[in-house]
This record gives sequence, structure tokens and C-alpha cells, in this order.
Amino acid sequence: MHQTEKSEIPQNNLAFISGSEKVHVVILRSEDFVERNRVIEAILSLTSLRNSSQFLYLAAPRLLGASIDAAVFKPYGIGLLLFDERRIDEVVAPQLVQPTKLMQQTSQTPDPGLFTELATLKSMYTEMERTIATLRDDLKTLRRNSETQTDTREPTLSRIARHEPIFPSPSISGSQLPAFFSNNPWLDVLSKRGRSGDEPIAG
Amino acid sequence: MTAETDYRSHYTFAMDFGTSDFKFGPITCGETPRIVNNRGYFPDKNSVVYKAFESTDEIIVGEDVPLYLQSADDLSSRLVYPMRNGMIDRADDTAWRVVSALTNFGLNSFKPEPNNGFQGYYVVASLSSVSPRYMYERLLELFGQNNANGNVKAITVIPQPFAVAIGHGVTTCVVIESGHGNSQVCPISKYPIRAAQVVLNRGGGDANAITSEILKDAGYGDLANEEAFVRKVKENIGLVPADLDAAVDEAKRSPRRFRAKYKVPGTRIEIDLEKDSWSRFLIGEYVFNPNHEIFESYFGRGMPRPRDVKMGDTIFRGMLDFGDAIVASVERCPVELQPMLYREVLLSGGNFSWTVPERLEDTAVDAPTKIKLLLRQKGIKNVSVKMTKSPQFSVWHGCIIYGFAVPDNYGWDWQRLEGWMKLSG
Repeated sequence: MHQTEKSEIPQNNLAFISGSEKVHVVILRSEDFVERNRVIEAILSLTSLRNSSQFLYLAAPRLLGASIDAAVFKPYGIGLLLFDERRIDEVVAPQLVQPTKLMQQTSQTPDPGLFTELATLKSMYTEMERTIATLRDDLKTLRRNSETQTDTREPTLSRIARHEPIFPSPSISGSQLPAFFSNNPWLDVLSKRGRSGDEPIAG
Repeated sequence: MTAETDYRSHYTFAMDFGTSDFKFGPITCGETPRIVNNRGYFPDKNSVVYKAFESTDEIIVGEDVPLYLQSADDLSSRLVYPMRNGMIDRADDTAWRVVSALTNFGLNSFKPEPNNGFQGYYVVASLSSVSPRYMYERLLELFGQNNANGNVKAITVIPQPFAVAIGHGVTTCVVIESGHGNSQVCPISKYPIRAAQVVLNRGGGDANAITSEILKDAGYGDLANEEAFVRKVKENIGLVPADLDAAVDEAKRSPRRFRAKYKVPGTRIEIDLEKDSWSRFLIGEYVFNPNHEIFESYFGRGMPRPRDVKMGDTIFRGMLDFGDAIVASVERCPVELQPMLYREVLLSGGNFSWTVPERLEDTAVDAPTKIKLLLRQKGIKNVSVKMTKSPQFSVWHGCIIYGFAVPDNYGWDWQRLEGWMKLSG
């Protein structure tokens, strides 16, 4: 058994290689119990080591043993070591940690179904790009056409007196009007005021 | 764009006569009109201040008013707010003179360049929906008398809730406008359905009244008589409960969570309701429904009970809750229209600006939610209730759209109270 390189492991942790198996120990000291997050950090760091170590231990002062049920550690395969100035006791033996399925799968041949799905997504994306390009061209053409259309009559105010004024449809361009005009159905409703059939409800 | 619409896109003008503010301006203002207080000051022509400013105006309006204000005694006699409750008395010439001065001020603030084809504005003014016919007559007459310089081509007047519906972009809806003194429930279906309107004699001022009583009970009697302070307290601690009984019970169980504290900025004045913080729910509840038995003790101690009052042709109901008011109004409309009206209920006015503090979402609600709950109690379920998009400017926006879109040949009709009254051109 030998200790792994110190640079690889955080402070308060120990790591050993025993044969082909790696053992990792997270150590909680008495002063760690004062900091609320330190205990949680220690336990969470153990779970994060599941893919890199085969045996995991939590080492804690013997005082902790009086306050926890050691059986809590067993289902998770984490070993528990309790220590004081004189000795260290293994209270719960660790179980061999199996690497996760994801890790297993990455070491195997990729799922062929994934390639098929990826190819389908790629062709959908290409099709969408083509459609957006077509829509963009159509919009440019529409804009160009609306800008080139002109009223051939000379606009004079005297025409207001002789002819019924024409009012804009709700879809009028908002470029000259405030934003609150856009998509307002009242423009159409109010433009018909006074026409036959447009009467208020008696209520 | 035709010549007519091009002209309207420059020379449509709107005036919103609110109870506190006068909002005005042409369509070219864009989203935001100019705003001044809806008030006028009658200066003492013998005063040094008046002579120093070399003004010849009989009435001062607009941003210059504060320059002329003198002693506090002056304020009650010389500073006039013409539309405190949305109405002006027929014989109140002083108030009408202030309105006349404001309209002139508004139009003169936006004088177009000469020789550019200007033939007068299409002006749309808005009044409270409770304004009686004589207010329309007086206002239209006033514009006619003041048009010597041809600033106005045509004038019309529309009710504020109608303008709100236009500004919000909904053609069939119920608009509920709630201000300081009263609240109006107005169904709209392309036109205002005037015969179905219901008016409540209850508004933000009543919420101030209950807040004042709560402050007195909590030992702040000396501050409870200052209106501006009471209004600030109401705005900062008042809450609307989803259910008053449940909210009060919860607040009494957890006083710390519901603690009502408010410090006036820039002062040492602070109020803290402590274990009586549950009473903050009474403030919001009173606005929407004053019928809970808990309010009887306040009426018994002298707080005025909102009464039914007749003003002009309109009966203002005192104790009707908002749910009953909406149902009463909608049920005066054709049956096939009613579901559509319930599906678009719009709330407008400062009296609906209630917030829900974080961590109190289980007990406090906003105004649209409260209205929905009140309607559900009456058996009305398919309801959509919203605040207007732009609470401060929706009336002015609606007036501008009306002025832009209504045909020039739609003449004023005294039956409908709509249409253009031509003044020039």
C-alpha cells in the first residue's frame, strides 16, 4: 500500500493505493463541527469520489460516534473510522464502490442509435436554415415592393373636403405612428364610425 | 399614407382631464404626453410677486404655479383644483375658467410652424364617465369660444374608460376605473354601453380613511390627520387579502412575518403596527368589499360609511362590492355579450396599484386576483382580469387613436355623445 501524490488530494483527505484498489479517506476534525458547511462538504465530497476510488471512508473524532447511528453509512458502502489521541477504529467496513453506468458506457462502443438520431437532427437543422433563408428573401422582396408603390394623385388638402377620407387598416406600418398604434383593432372599428350598420348597443 | 391620414399623423391632439393631472399633447409626442397639475392659481394682482413676474394672466396654470404660491392661507382661496371627483358643478365658474386656461395652455404649448399647411388640430378631450351632459356642453362651448386663432379644426369628448379600452386595444371589455373619490364599472362593445354603467361611491380616499383609523388605534393619532402621510402609509403597508378571515388569523398567528413597519424617508418618523399588523389587510379589503362585519366597529366609532349618493343623473353606490358591481353592470348588457365581457375585465387607476410582498404570496393578492376571487364567489368563473398596459397614459393613448381614426364626416351627436364638432375649416 502506498500513499498517492499529495498534490492530487485536498487537505484533510488521505488516499492510498492497496494492490489495484484505491482507498480514499475524508477526515473531519473537531474544529470542523463548528463550521456548519464543513460537515456537509465532507459528506458530499465522498460521493463525488465514487468514480475514482474503490473504497471510501469518513474519519471522524470518536465524539461523533456517540451522536450518529453507524448503520446510516452501510447502504451507501461508505466506511466509518473513529479516532482519538490513542487509536483509530474501523466502525463500519466499506464496500467496494462500483463505477457508475455512464462511466461504464463511455468505455464501451457508442450506442448506434445515437448516431442515427444525430444524423436526423442535422438534416432537420439544414432544412430549417434553408426555410429561414427563403423567408428572409421573401420579406426583402415585400419591403422593396411596398416602398416602390406610390399614389399617382397630387395630395392636396382640398381633396379632404371633396372626398371621403380613407383611413388606415390596423396593419398600417408603425414607422410614423407611436408604438401603441400597432395591432390595435380600434383603428378599423373607429374608421367605420357613422356607416350604416355601425350602431351602439342600447344596453 | 393618404393626405388625410398624413395630416392626422401630425395634427391629432389629446387632453386627459384627470382628478390630479392634466395630460396633453399632439400625436407627435409619441408614447408620453406632457403632464401638469390639473389646477389653476388666481394671483393677487396687488402682490409684489405678481408685479415682479410682470404677468398679465388672470389665472396661472402649468409649471409656473409654484412660482406664484405665497402663504398657506392663499392655497385654499386662490389655488383651485377643478376636477377633484371627476365633476365640475354647473355654476362653478371659477373651476371652468381654470379648465379654459388649461386648454389654452395645452394648445399654445404645441404651436406648429407657420405656413406648413396647418389648419387646426383634431382635438380629443376625455372626461370622467360620470360627467353629466352639461359638462360636455360647457367643454365644447369653451373650445369654440377660445378658437379665435384657429388652433382647433374639430373637437370631440370621450369618456375616460372608453379611452382606456381603445388604448389597451380591446374592443369588447369591462373597464373599471378607480380613482380617489369613486370607481366606475363601464362595459364597452365598440361603443361605451352607457346604460349599463355602475358607479361606486368608493375609491382611494376611503382606503385612506380606514388607514387613518388604524393609525389612531395604534397610537399615531397625531399623524393620522395628515392626508399626505396617511396616503404614504396606505401605499407602503396596505395589503389586499385573498380571504380576510384567513389572512387575519394567519397574521395574528405569525405577527413577525406580517409585521407592518414604515419609515418616512428623510425623517425620524416611523410607524410600527407590531402585533396589530394583521390590520394592514383591512386597508385593501375595504376598497374591494366594505361589507365585512369587522368594519362595523369602525363605522360605530365615527368613520363615515360609504353611502349611496345621487350626483347629476348618476347614482353612486356606497357599499356594493366590486364583484356585485361588475355582475350588475354586465347583466344589464345583452345576454350573448355577457361571456365576452367577463373574459376581458380591465383595471385602471391608482386605486388598483396593490403589490404583493415576497413571502406573503400565500395570503396577499393583487387587484386582478382579488376581482377574480370576488367574481368566483358570485358564480362567475370564466373571467380574465388584467391591469391596463400603461396605467398612467392609457387614457391619452386612447384619445390619440380615436382622434386619428374617426372619420372627419362623423359629426357630433348629442344622443350618442360622440363625433366631431367642427370649429374651423
